[in-house]
Amino acid sequence: MPEQENFQSLPLVPLKNSVLFPNLLMPLSVGRPASLAAVEAALATEEKEIVIVAQRESGVDSPGPKDLYTIGTKAVIRKMSRPSEDLVEVLVLGVERVIILKLEEAEPFIRARVRPLPMPQDAGGAELEALTRALLELGAKAISVTQGGQPPQNPVELGKLLGFTDEPLRLVYMLASMFSLDLAKEQELLEAPTRVEALRLMHGYLSHELQVLELRNKIATDARTEMSKEQREYLLRQQMRAIQQELGEKNSDQADVEMLREQIEKADLPPDVLKEANRELQRLERMPQGQPEHQVIRTYLELILELPWNKRTEDNLDLARARQVLDEDHYNLKEVKERILEHLSVLKLNPEAKAPILCFVGPPGVGKTSLGQSIARAIGRKFERMSLGGMHDEAELRGHRRTYIGALPGRLIQAVRRAGANNPVLMLDEVDKLGRDFRGDPAAALLEILDPEQNKTFRDNYLDLPFDLSKCLFITTANTLDTIPRPLLDRMEILRLSGYSEEEKVHIARRYLIPRQLKQTGLTAEQCRITDDGLRKLITGYTREAGLRRIEQAIGRVARKVTLKFAEGNTTAVVIDAGAVVEMLGPESFYQEEARKEMVPGVATGLAWTEAGGDVLYIEATLLPDGKGMTLTGQLGEVMQESAKTAQSYVWSHADSLGIDPELFKSSGVHVHVPAGAIPKDGPSAGVTMTTALASLYSGNPARSDTAMTGEVTLTGLVLPIGGVKEKVLAARRAGINRVILPKANQKDLRDLPEPVRKETEFIFAERVEDVLAAVIPGLAERLTITRKVA
Amino acid sequence: MKIWSIYLSPERRPETSNAWRPPVDVYRKGASWLLKFDLAGVRPADVRIRLAGSRVTVSGVRRDWIVDQGYSYHSMEIMYNRFERTVELSGDLSNAEYSFEARDGLLLVRVDIAQ
Repeated sequence: MPEQENFQSLPLVPLKNSVLFPNLLMPLSVGRPASLAAVEAALATEEKEIVIVAQRESGVDSPGPKDLYTIGTKAVIRKMSRPSEDLVEVLVLGVERVIILKLEEAEPFIRARVRPLPMPQDAGGAELEALTRALLELGAKAISVTQGGQPPQNPVELGKLLGFTDEPLRLVYMLASMFSLDLAKEQELLEAPTRVEALRLMHGYLSHELQVLELRNKIATDARTEMSKEQREYLLRQQMRAIQQELGEKNSDQADVEMLREQIEKADLPPDVLKEANRELQRLERMPQGQPEHQVIRTYLELILELPWNKRTEDNLDLARARQVLDEDHYNLKEVKERILEHLSVLKLNPEAKAPILCFVGPPGVGKTSLGQSIARAIGRKFERMSLGGMHDEAELRGHRRTYIGALPGRLIQAVRRAGANNPVLMLDEVDKLGRDFRGDPAAALLEILDPEQNKTFRDNYLDLPFDLSKCLFITTANTLDTIPRPLLDRMEILRLSGYSEEEKVHIARRYLIPRQLKQTGLTAEQCRITDDGLRKLITGYTREAGLRRIEQAIGRVARKVTLKFAEGNTTAVVIDAGAVVEMLGPESFYQEEARKEMVPGVATGLAWTEAGGDVLYIEATLLPDGKGMTLTGQLGEVMQESAKTAQSYVWSHADSLGIDPELFKSSGVHVHVPAGAIPKDGPSAGVTMTTALASLYSGNPARSDTAMTGEVTLTGLVLPIGGVKEKVLAARRAGINRVILPKANQKDLRDLPEPVRKETEFIFAERVEDVLAAVIPGLAERLTITRKVA
Repeated sequence: MKIWSIYLSPERRPETSNAWRPPVDVYRKGASWLLKFDLAGVRPADVRIRLAGSRVTVSGVRRDWIVDQGYSYHSMEIMYNRFERTVELSGDLSNAEYSFEARDGLLLVRVDIAQ
């Protein structure tokens, strides 16, 4: 062939990630503008020839000379179509290997000057033959592996299928494109200097490829074996069961079912429950033990068996004994004790009577919970308690449906199960501290539970059978009624346990707390004796509460100090008097002299009711010269602010009779403050105190410091009754104030007070606010008509 | 399986040579043969005929040409460039005579084996 025919100038298409081998067809999608132009140019020629060269990096979009390999393939375009405007699909057939001598143009497409680079007809001989056969065998094996372990094809057969006849290079190229080698390897094959070299390279690649394939197959097979191992275990178990049956041995499953069946027969279940239990038992029988559902049904059946459907404890109807038990455990609390005894007498006449649902309301530490226990003891019932404080999930009370994994019956059913009787005393503590959120409102669930009409057929979600709760004696406790929803409150009988007076505390300490603490520390009554003085000091100097918790703690501290003395060698009895208490407990935490000795005009002593009992609070008012209106501070609620305004209006309108210059109201403002400033306060009962403070301020006469007062005031000066009289009077007494002004309508509440308090306190009952002012502001007493009544 | 189906589809089947194979009909009348090649658009000057042993080989190049200026390809299905087709006849062709003509897009090759 003449020299010049060997060189050709052809359009060039760079190829990403792949190499076109001679004699192979390859479909190409051409989208890059330069490549499109190259294809168009090739199509416009007579022979449709083009050069395809791999580019070194697939990321380069418009490759230059450096980005292209120098050896490529001349190809003929066999088919061409345009699926869209900017995309051309061509089918190219590799013709021969070419070397790129020069890139002649770059725009609008690369045109390359190329020369064919035929594979030298090396002799090869035996080596070529051997390599060809080895490669054929390897190829057949690799193909069989990819097909999932079919026996390898006959290599000769494969050769025919691959179109391999006599040219080993074609086999190499075919296998290379079948096993998607990476670009570098493909290019290396294309550039191989001799046939032997190309065969050798391909052999190496294919061996590697084969290893990878085999490894992948092994992983897949391993996973399969794992599975069949489990199946094998299952089969063995089935066989074991069959053998056991042959031998006449019952398997453990069936033994279980038999046992449950026997228990169900023996248990005296109501007909409905029996039916359900038998149904579940049948399901259990048919179910293999391994299934999770098996355990669920078993647990359910066990619950049914353990619940006290018909079991109940006999009530102790001996009233005298019941009274004795109640008195042993708690001092006073007459109202509650009477209510319990009433119920016992009803039960005596009508054993099927519905149990009352009681609600004990009172400050912390007054013995609400322990009273419940004591009631259970008195009437001889089981006692179970649960705290509802912070509970916010209805399912806690009513249980989860059995379809849920890990479902449990609600706390009520669990409590009844623990009690083992269907008439226990069930104490629901802290019913005022129920939470509620998106999961449901436990208070609403309580509505059903605490309604004697509905709780006869209480349905727990888990149990899904009606259970009769109407025989249970429900007792709830709360510190305040404000947070209890109205419908829930209606269902309960409210019994108030107010705070204890000092006298009561002394009694309780003597009878219950001291013996209990001595017992805990291991002392005898002889070894440690607390005098009345000492006890009073301990109560007034170290505690300030409605209940008894701190007192018991303080007594415990004293007892432990005494124990220490004995441990250190003391042998004589220790007498604790007031001095010893101070010595043991350190300086007093609270001062008896709460009451202010000196009072300036504008200050009045009020009484407040709190959750922890009562408290004394001072209302201070002061004039603001050149000021305007009324400023109120001390976290006052809306009602209290209004009552302050009412008080001011009253004083203003009666300025004349109180001897006040009306100009004062116009010329200056007033500021009313109620300490302690950080505690929120509300309610109308500070009305009289506000009025007193303002009257004292404007008239310039101080109020008496030994008098505390409470009561609501109307604009026309009427004094209306208020609540919490006992707590308020006790608070005044704790603060050392023995003169208390109360609304006339509250006179009846005095009977709640302990005898000594009633005797030692001077009560003034006011109908009109003038009565109050006359009693508390000496400077005004003469100006006002006095209607004073002493209890 | 996949590999087979892909690689043995007509498109990917390797060519035994780089040339395409035109279809051919073979007629016979005694010792005379008539071969009709589907070779439209091939110039007679670009066709080469060889007789060797009992085989007739027709090869050549189909060159494309521009029909009307300004048109470019939208799609292409006709194969261009080199073609080659060998037909096995019976008998020795060493003394045979042959002639060919192009008619209506077909190439007719007549081979007469000397008696």
